[in-house]
Amino acid sequence: MDILGSFALLLAFLAAVYAVLAGIAGIITRRTLLTKSARNAGMAVFVLVTVAVACLEYFFFTNDFSIVYVVEHSNRALPGFYKFAALWAGQEGSLLFWSWLLSIYAFLVLFLNRKRHPELMPYVGVVLAGVQTFFLTLNNFVATPFRVLAGPDNAGVMHLAKMSEGHGLTPLLQYPEMVIHPPMLYLGYTGFSVPFAFALAALLGRYPGEKWIHITRRWTMIAWCFQSIGILLGAHWAYAMLGWGGYWAWDPVENASLLPWITGTAFLHSVMMQEKRGMMKIWNVWLVFTTFMLCILGTMLTRSGVVSSVHAFAQSSIGSWFVGFLIITFVVCFAAYWKNRDYLRSDNQLDSLVSRESSFLFNNLILLAACFAVLWGTLFPVLSEWVQGSKISVGAPFFNKVNVPIALFLLLLTGVGPLLAWRKTSFDALRRNFAWPFAGGVLAGIIGFIWGFRDIYSLLCLILGVFVTLTIASEFFRGARVISARDGTNIFTSMGELTMRNTRRYGGYVVHFGMVLIFIGIAGTPFNKDLQKEMGVGESLRIGPYTILCQTFDHIETNNYTSQRATLEIFKNGKSDMMLFPERRLFRASQITETMVAIQSSPLRDLYVVYAGESPDSGKPVIHAYLLPLIKWIWFGGIVVVLGTGLALLPNRRTALVLRPAAERSWAGTLAESTPAIGAVARRAEGHD
Amino acid sequence: MIKIPNSRTNERMPKNSRRTLRSFSTSCALMFAFRAVTLGMIIMMSAATPARAQETPRGKALGKRVLCMCGGCEDSAGLCNHPGGTFSGPCETARGMQKDLDAHVTRGESDDQILQAMVEQYGPTVLVEPPKKGFDLLAWIMPIAVPLVALVLVWEVVRRWRHKATLAPAGGPSVSPELLARARQEANREPGREHDE
Repeated sequence: MDILGSFALLLAFLAAVYAVLAGIAGIITRRTLLTKSARNAGMAVFVLVTVAVACLEYFFFTNDFSIVYVVEHSNRALPGFYKFAALWAGQEGSLLFWSWLLSIYAFLVLFLNRKRHPELMPYVGVVLAGVQTFFLTLNNFVATPFRVLAGPDNAGVMHLAKMSEGHGLTPLLQYPEMVIHPPMLYLGYTGFSVPFAFALAALLGRYPGEKWIHITRRWTMIAWCFQSIGILLGAHWAYAMLGWGGYWAWDPVENASLLPWITGTAFLHSVMMQEKRGMMKIWNVWLVFTTFMLCILGTMLTRSGVVSSVHAFAQSSIGSWFVGFLIITFVVCFAAYWKNRDYLRSDNQLDSLVSRESSFLFNNLILLAACFAVLWGTLFPVLSEWVQGSKISVGAPFFNKVNVPIALFLLLLTGVGPLLAWRKTSFDALRRNFAWPFAGGVLAGIIGFIWGFRDIYSLLCLILGVFVTLTIASEFFRGARVISARDGTNIFTSMGELTMRNTRRYGGYVVHFGMVLIFIGIAGTPFNKDLQKEMGVGESLRIGPYTILCQTFDHIETNNYTSQRATLEIFKNGKSDMMLFPERRLFRASQITETMVAIQSSPLRDLYVVYAGESPDSGKPVIHAYLLPLIKWIWFGGIVVVLGTGLALLPNRRTALVLRPAAERSWAGTLAESTPAIGAVARRAEGHD
Repeated sequence: MIKIPNSRTNERMPKNSRRTLRSFSTSCALMFAFRAVTLGMIIMMSAATPARAQETPRGKALGKRVLCMCGGCEDSAGLCNHPGGTFSGPCETARGMQKDLDAHVTRGESDDQILQAMVEQYGPTVLVEPPKKGFDLLAWIMPIAVPLVALVLVWEVVRRWRHKATLAPAGGPSVSPELLARARQEANREPGREHDE
């Protein structure tokens, strides 16, 4: 099977190289047969990499400890669930997993568009195959997952060897979310390859119009959604698993996942400028190039260990390959841009500073500022070492100080931007749209201050959160009221109808609302409390309204681990409320101990209890309790973001307006020809999306 | 610490009349209550003895500004918490560092002096944030400077685009008021379609 896997990977590499070469030849010679052949080779890569992945999984499930990767990341007692996830537990498997997800995307793109966009797709196929070639080079020649165990005998002759047991999976990864978090993040990273391929293809092929943006809109949103889920699951894993009461440590690998998410967010907003007004063509192309390059940089930071990180289970000296690929990508992108820059010439006009257009400009400015601040902080230790010869630390306080004001400004724009009209917003409209949300925000600020929100950033976050929520609610309400008055339906039915008529816009609002919830959740951080205490049986500690009484300590034995468990009775305001069972698990294969946190979650606060182990000084058990306000809002906000994105992906419900006779609709075309500005409004009125 | 005021009260008691006796009984009751409260506090404090070393508030704050130098974690000394260790709390290094910080605080040194002493002992990596001097000042300046430069550029772009917009309509064809009115009416008629997000 290892030979089958290795051969499949080698063939996949050859197929990818062929797809690049035949694709280029097909484009140059304009031979359809060559183009088709390149496309089929591109699709074959998926089949071959799938075979390789299946082989590796087979080794995990059959406990084949003759394969080095299996020895290092599995053991016999490992549950099947985690044996499956062990595929991406280490360097070689992670890179294979990258290749596999990319090949799935490439297959879907090539297959779904096999009869569409004949001028564009050959270029797309070449770009995707180019990216695949790089990763398959790593899979085949740098970090092969099918390396077998071998050792010399007394005569110095090499023989195949086999271990009786593996070293086991890193206990940190033995958590349900860890089975979902990396695939989601990787689906995000690899997913951004699709808009990148289309953007570069459109530029190389000088594909007319904004069509590449229309084609890739859903692909970009899907990648963005996966990236969002991946980031949030990672944060939740860190929260529930690491036992430190936090969810985001500004670790370089966490930052690396955030960077393409930020530029991807900027791209999702700025493409609307191109779609609606034909503006910012150069910017959009570079934004998608940057997003892709940040995905590669993110993978490099995770895999290479250039910067120190808690994700140390995946470090090696593979970084130089990624640096090389990043340089090649940049050179290709820049050359394509320079050669075809006249293709991107756009007629940029701005009627007013107070308009949707300018809000998008500022939105992009703020997002890019945040991206730069995170990237700068992440790479500054490397830069400092290079310049000064000594390394310095850039920890969480730096990132918080720099990014919190930026994030709050972004939150403000989230409320302001969508209510500004395209082209120009009058002062009256501003007053009408913002008076009540602004008043609501201020009122919430006063109530929050009285209630105890004394941290300036948290208070601002609360004010802006309420402001944005009210602006979103007013958008839904005003639209629904018109439909309700016309159709006689109730306001909630009308809101549903309104949303389904323009899923992109109202789905976007739902995403914004989800972000508000996440921000409110983060605003609770300054009010965290924690208390650590040595506790014997019968002893108690008090934190906030809770009293924690220690009842017993016991042991649990499984094939995979032994566990020390504390049984704690929680009293709330003097009344027995619940039982919590924090654990410490010692994993047999790796001999590593992990904490299993017990969390009692409510919308107001989480009670988070860690059994920290026995005190090194006294030998008594130590319980560490945290009281963490509003954390649940972050996870709930994440769900809302995902639902909103799903909503925005749905097609619009067609309205009666679209079915009107063509003759009656022609006025919009007339307007568009005479005055583009009014024509754009007229076309939107007619239902053109 | 607690006994001194009570013993003074006891010394004053004998030379007094009924009134002073009443005040004596009152002070006795107060003393009893005070003792009960302090005893309760002592019990509570002993019950809540933290696993971390006794920290001064300033020492605790400083503990969050220096990294634990054990080499096995990326946490600050004040928040050190080894998830995979034998004890998921402050390691020996972190506890030692925290103890040092408290000793510096007790000696009355300023925050800067204490942090400088830590840098001399452990090297510049001990600081959680880059120092705001020399080359490292760039770490702080750039996240402010780059967005400001970008803001100036955006402003310039906006200015140019607005200039174009003011020039554009001059040569454009005219639109009849009827057509314009109808466009506006249609645009406002369909909620959710007047402008896309």
